[in-house]
Amino acid sequence: MLKMKQFSTPESKALYQKKMMQKAGSFLVSLYRYVLLISISYVIIYPMVFMITTALKTPDAFLDPSIVWIPKVFSLEGFTQAFEALDFSNSFISTLVYEIVAAVIEIFSCTLAAYGMARFDFKLKGILNVFLMLLIFIPSQMIIIPMTINFSDFDILGIVGLIENIIGEPIKINLLNSVWPFYLPSLFGVGLRAGIIIFMYIQFFKGLPKELEEAAWIDGAGPFRTFLSIAIPSSGVILFTVSVFSVIWHWNDYYLAVMYTSSNYPMAVKLNTIEESISVLFRKHAITEKAMIVMAACLIFILPVLIMYMIVQKKFVQSIDKVGITG
Amino acid sequence: MKLKKHRGIETLKSRYGLMFVTPWIIGLLLFFVYPIFQSLIYIFSDVRVVVGGTMMKWVGLDNINYIFQKDPEFANNLGQGLFTLLYTCPVILILSMIIGIMLSGQFKGRLFFRVVYFLPAIMAAGSVLAMLFQYQAGDVSSIQSDESVSSGMIDVSEIIAFTGLPQQIGDFISTTLSGIMNIIWSCGIQIVLFISGMQTIPELLYEVGKVEGATKWEEFWFITLPMLSNVIVLVLVFTVVDAMTSQTDVVMTQAYALMDSQLYGRASAMLWTYFLCVGAATGLVLWLYNRFCASRWQ
Repeated sequence: MLKMKQFSTPESKALYQKKMMQKAGSFLVSLYRYVLLISISYVIIYPMVFMITTALKTPDAFLDPSIVWIPKVFSLEGFTQAFEALDFSNSFISTLVYEIVAAVIEIFSCTLAAYGMARFDFKLKGILNVFLMLLIFIPSQMIIIPMTINFSDFDILGIVGLIENIIGEPIKINLLNSVWPFYLPSLFGVGLRAGIIIFMYIQFFKGLPKELEEAAWIDGAGPFRTFLSIAIPSSGVILFTVSVFSVIWHWNDYYLAVMYTSSNYPMAVKLNTIEESISVLFRKHAITEKAMIVMAACLIFILPVLIMYMIVQKKFVQSIDKVGITG
Repeated sequence: MKLKKHRGIETLKSRYGLMFVTPWIIGLLLFFVYPIFQSLIYIFSDVRVVVGGTMMKWVGLDNINYIFQKDPEFANNLGQGLFTLLYTCPVILILSMIIGIMLSGQFKGRLFFRVVYFLPAIMAAGSVLAMLFQYQAGDVSSIQSDESVSSGMIDVSEIIAFTGLPQQIGDFISTTLSGIMNIIWSCGIQIVLFISGMQTIPELLYEVGKVEGATKWEEFWFITLPMLSNVIVLVLVFTVVDAMTSQTDVVMTQAYALMDSQLYGRASAMLWTYFLCVGAATGLVLWLYNRFCASRWQ
């Protein structure tokens, strides 16, 4: 060490200087990284804090300039009213029944299609790849009108029409306001953002070593047996990641729910129309009073997802490293 | 008959593959391709839901003429929507790439930052964000300026007043700030995708780079960026679709308002016009990207 510092030759001095430069450079890089990361975290955390304090304030506190963050009087009035305005018990249940179950169905139905696309070669694969791209790129809002109309008079293969002709009586199957508009597309792997889910699965399955499955083949397991007992158990990470995404997307889904339901709205729809419900229920029109209830309602809305995230966050953060969903 | 008996493992496998994707093909046909054709037909027809079914009447180009010539808002909304996409999407893409690359390195507090940065991915998409922006945008801030989220973060107006710059510049800066907030909050999933993409780059490449004496900057341009090219395409498409269908999007809002009043033909025409513009722009960008960047990296 000592010899190094005495700089016996000009080369070693240059080397030492270069090393110091590199050290300074990496210090600057990490400093830059922390400054950027912290300042952006601020932008992320600030609205959350804003939401919480606004929800806890009394309406009078808005007019008091001395209160910026911590209100003198905490009131839970906002929350009780928000629960009422959201019609919490009903809308929570219908979110679970309509959306979350659809998410779970989607998580599993998409694995089938993706496994077929990733592991096997067949004639239609080229066309199906094009359709997969279209499925990713064309948002479901584009086809929501015909979907709604089709579901309101469900006769998609003309079977109902055929039975109608045989019986001689008009039958109308209205699937709106039932679970089927949510479940059916999910069941066939074309539900909410199914394209990107299938894409993630395909990328993952492609990266999964084939050998185990081939061994199972040789041992005489059929394709579905191989799929269920070899492929699925070894894709825990991707199943987990996709589940988190799918549940969140379904939880936040507003555009589909507002078209497919006309009563028993899921919570996302309720939240979107909360201002009207506040005016109707409590006859409150002042913006300060509304702000409190609306922010409380927002908190109530994100809380279940947030709790889920807090429980799984460690695993989620780690699994992102392993999935390789975008190879 | 004999041929069938001697089918090879390849044919067998292709049959199994078809078995796996059959439900999906059915789904695609019933719930994707068929509705697309229907909604394309709706553009040129007058659709009404009446008792006992739907009534359709072919009206030719009436709907398109209407939305462009008679509708007072659509042309404006379309321009505004496209303009918003034009400036948000690239910024989201670049920002999420920077954050993704930073978060995938090794440093102290990585776990904490990741948990924070995944928060938008967890709850952004949708109503909450719309509410937040609505309440920061005008109403609450008119009571007390500190209450507005973006201007509360950094009190721009005071700084502007202090420096003596005109009011317009202050307004512009605070609008940009709230825009930045909007953008950062829509980066969630994209950051996740980039982090996961970063993990697929073999460490070996960086070691080779180090041996060759590449600087960090060169490493980024010659290793990270080319290896991320697939992710970039995916994130770009995802961002465009996500931004286009967000609840703050003006064209979507207008189309949904039309659906409420059962003007399905016009709503369909609006949606498809918007989508075609966005799709054409995205296609052009992807083509240019393939032509000039991706092919060079190969």
